[in-house]
Amino acid sequence: MPVEVILPKVDMDMETGTIEAWHVKEGDQVRQGETIFEIGTNKAVMEVEAPASGAIRRIRAETGIAIAVGTPVAWIYLDGETQDAAPAAKPAAMPASQPSATATVVANQASNGVAAGAVPVGLRATPLARRVARQNGIDLRAIAGSGPRGRIGEADVRSHIAAVAAPAPVAVDGAAATCRSAEAPADTLKPFSAIRRIVATRLSESMRTAPHFYLSSEIEMSAAQALLRRLAARHERLGAPKPSLTVLIARIAAGVLGHHPLLNASAEGEATRFHQRIDVGIAMEREGDLVVPVLRDAGTMDMPAMAREFARLREGVAKRSLTPAELGGGTFTISNLGMYGVDSFTAIINPPQGAILAVGRTVEKPVGRDGQIVLRPMANFTLSSDHRIIDGVTAARFMADLREALENPEVLL
Amino acid sequence: MPSELIEAPAELRELSYAEAVREALAQAMEADSRVFLFGEDVGVYGGAFGVSGDLVHRFGAERVIDTPISELGIAGAAVGAAITGMRPVVEIQFSDFVTLAMEQLVNQAAKIRFMFGGKASVPMVVRLPGGSGTGAAAQHSQSLEAWFAHVPGLKVLQPSTPHDAKGMLLAAIDDPNPVMIFEHKLLYKTKGHVPAEPYRVPIGKAAIRREGTDITIVGSSIMALKAQAAAARLADEGVSAEVIDLRSIRPIDFTTIAESVRKTHRLMVVYEGVKTMGIGAEISAMIAESEVFDFLDAPIVRLGGVDAPIPYNPVLEKAAVPQEDDIFAAALNLLRRGEA
Amino acid sequence: MNDMKTGSAQTARPNQRPELAALDDATLRTALTRMHLIRKFEEAAEASYMRGLIHGTMHLSIGQEASAVGTTLPLQAQDYILSTHRGHGHCIARGAEPKLMFAEFFGKETGYCKGRGGSMHIADVEGGNLGANGIVGGGLPIAVGVGMSIKAQKNGRVCMVFFGDGASNEGAFHEALNMASIWKLPVVFVCENNKYGMSMDIARAMAVANVADRASAYAMPGHCLDGNDLAGVAAVAREAVERARQGGGPSLIECKTYRWRGHSKSDRNLYRSKEEIEEWRAQDPIRRLEDELKAHDRFDAAALMKLEEDAQREIDAAVEFARTCPDPDPKDLTRDVYAI
Repeated sequence: MPVEVILPKVDMDMETGTIEAWHVKEGDQVRQGETIFEIGTNKAVMEVEAPASGAIRRIRAETGIAIAVGTPVAWIYLDGETQDAAPAAKPAAMPASQPSATATVVANQASNGVAAGAVPVGLRATPLARRVARQNGIDLRAIAGSGPRGRIGEADVRSHIAAVAAPAPVAVDGAAATCRSAEAPADTLKPFSAIRRIVATRLSESMRTAPHFYLSSEIEMSAAQALLRRLAARHERLGAPKPSLTVLIARIAAGVLGHHPLLNASAEGEATRFHQRIDVGIAMEREGDLVVPVLRDAGTMDMPAMAREFARLREGVAKRSLTPAELGGGTFTISNLGMYGVDSFTAIINPPQGAILAVGRTVEKPVGRDGQIVLRPMANFTLSSDHRIIDGVTAARFMADLREALENPEVLL
Repeated sequence: MPSELIEAPAELRELSYAEAVREALAQAMEADSRVFLFGEDVGVYGGAFGVSGDLVHRFGAERVIDTPISELGIAGAAVGAAITGMRPVVEIQFSDFVTLAMEQLVNQAAKIRFMFGGKASVPMVVRLPGGSGTGAAAQHSQSLEAWFAHVPGLKVLQPSTPHDAKGMLLAAIDDPNPVMIFEHKLLYKTKGHVPAEPYRVPIGKAAIRREGTDITIVGSSIMALKAQAAAARLADEGVSAEVIDLRSIRPIDFTTIAESVRKTHRLMVVYEGVKTMGIGAEISAMIAESEVFDFLDAPIVRLGGVDAPIPYNPVLEKAAVPQEDDIFAAALNLLRRGEA
Repeated sequence: MNDMKTGSAQTARPNQRPELAALDDATLRTALTRMHLIRKFEEAAEASYMRGLIHGTMHLSIGQEASAVGTTLPLQAQDYILSTHRGHGHCIARGAEPKLMFAEFFGKETGYCKGRGGSMHIADVEGGNLGANGIVGGGLPIAVGVGMSIKAQKNGRVCMVFFGDGASNEGAFHEALNMASIWKLPVVFVCENNKYGMSMDIARAMAVANVADRASAYAMPGHCLDGNDLAGVAAVAREAVERARQGGGPSLIECKTYRWRGHSKSDRNLYRSKEEIEEWRAQDPIRRLEDELKAHDRFDAAALMKLEEDAQREIDAAVEFARTCPDPDPKDLTRDVYAI
């Protein structure tokens, strides 16, 4: 039987090798131990010796090609053996058995979306405080931590809960639970969505901690409507979305806020935080939930830019593609329910902001002008303010300037 | 009966830590002819710290064997004797000298059973006097237990009381694995209740030395005692500290620590070994990785040895490892009584 | 079996040197069979390695067969050996089953160490083989402990520990020889001096000419031998083993021999010449013994050929057996870290 010459494993981690050079050619007589080829690994070139003496035949490996360890590369025929005696080439190296490593990887999947107890970046709270907050649907932002550097501990959360004296949460299962009585048809008990939990918590918190007071003004919207018509034409030329009344009000309110820093401020413990930037939140509805995307730096935006940004936010709300950062952190909020025919309403301040502006529908009303009763488009604006930082006169001055700006919008823009 | 009046009741019998270790050795040698003791100066000298005492006179030089100063040879001899049917107990005169025996302990003793597919076991005990506080400076004062806790195949114990010193040594001699017992040099003269009969303290079970609700202080060896003293002072400050004496660092009793932290919400780990990469790091990480993480109401605090060799000067030496005052202050701080 | 006994009667062996005459035919058959098994085993191991069937590296002892077989011939069934990283030959010489060794090489659950040890850690504790060792000199201190065990148990056994020329420069060597000598332990130290510690020529690594010269420092007999002469090795080993068994203490035997292959599978032989390798191949311990037996008409060529063929068949079957064995289950990975 001819002796098989294989490509040998010459290094521990070697799976393939390359023949760098053959020292013999087809038909040469070789002696056992004589070098017949050189094999290259990633570390060195090693000489491979003939495993037997005889004629080398059927060289079947070229140089420079990676070959699996154990592959026959030639045969050595002993004296008297003919090539016909060559055995069929055996398969190359047996597949090395691979014990299937069964490392268990536990992926920690962060739940996507806003959850009660979700912690904003930068807030310091202990794991236990976070856990207790999560279990009780508490927004940690509403709590002032008593630990080092404002860290919120469990005790802070507990005392907060005690102060709130919230009713015990109703235990319901994931599906709608029903409550039956003999006579009445079954009521439906639907657990809060994650966002609803936040809204419920934060607005309760707002009503409880921020002493609200309200100022209303009826403002003529003729000039504003005229401006909107002109802007519509201009935006069309610029390729910007058509501006809505809400956008215009936001832009004008932002301009006015620049002169009323207390309206663009938050109560923080026993201090007032004055915000450098004017970030105006716009209350929107999405499938029964309230969300408030924010127009950043609204005081410096021109109308086309603001219209574009507003359109982007509205689309983002519908598609649920906005980030938590885009849905929070405003310094003032506008809620416009005029499109639903609401005449006027009062809104709850979006904490930790200091004020919110509620806008009713614009409707033609008889008003007195120069001794005459005339019909003018009028809208009702109601400002809710946090009395901890905003007094009646402060709010009234803001409303006066807002009226002035809405009735003469060109001045501000 | 009159004799009852003369003899103190057994439960009041007190022994020093060193006497407790010696009693365990004597009882093990009496009960089992396979047990023998060897090491440097363990014979007529009685051991560098007087632990073996008079054992050579009671059991003879065949079973209490003085060795040359050959720590690698001593450790290897223990391995060879253990795999051929004996129950050797060796003393490394100062735990620092174990550095000379690392090869046999880490490559041989710890791995033989595994390498041989479970077909051999290495029932040996290595006793190592360790720790600082005796003015012996950098090469005679180290706390190296965490090194060995990093080696699968070894068990590592740190008894803190005379009671545990005896019960854990007897348990270690029974154990079919190589067991390293780090005995703190400052503990040898401490006294405590030690029952006269042989008994075993289970390996791998921590002891709750004091129950509390505000903070869990986990200590090993002498630090468990310092933690208890600090806890008594903390009680005067209205702080209820739970003190866990680890006793065994490999295997480690994570369950006891976790249950305590779940209750107290705060954890401090105190150990004499160098703070970095030490016992505290491991326990902190185990808590942080576990579901108990969500019960933490403050950052975990490690009090460990300073990242420096143990100095000679007594003031510096004290400053190099946690003291009772440090534990007391750190606990108050953690409870926000101080400033963090 | 009579066909194997050819030539002169066992009682009259004219012109034979006494070392050869002392070996009866049955002993010689055993010795030859073991030497062939070692040679064939190493060749098959090498072939398997080159085909990628073996996962790690290996250290082959081709050329050193007379040392492994000659030293162990006088051992009895209950005696112990401790081996080295180049230890396949010692296992076979001690009667290990090649098929279980191959199973270990291939990492199979049926191997001597259930696939946990591999080439460097083959052990057969029940068969008296306390294990090969991956650490140079690792077995030497262990042999001291085995000697202590034998002495304490008074069971009349002997421990033979193998090591290389390189190990004789480790501290472990000196600690072990000293301890064995002061306690007169029944240990036979066998140095297989194959001239190189990996690539380092022993002449460059050691200040004395022979490892055996060092015996005088420990007041024990030192024998420097032609390690490729089976009969010569066996004669000296018998003397050392008997001395140990009778309580005379340890001996140091140095077998000067040569490994034909490189240190391990990544050796490129840069430190030695082909001429040197050829000179030593001419001293093939198996051919030398066969030639001497034929010259003295102890065995004929056919009988010798049959021993070799039988060995080859056994090795072929062993490889076949091992290939088909099951791999260990990863879920059992930590099973034997500790004894329970």
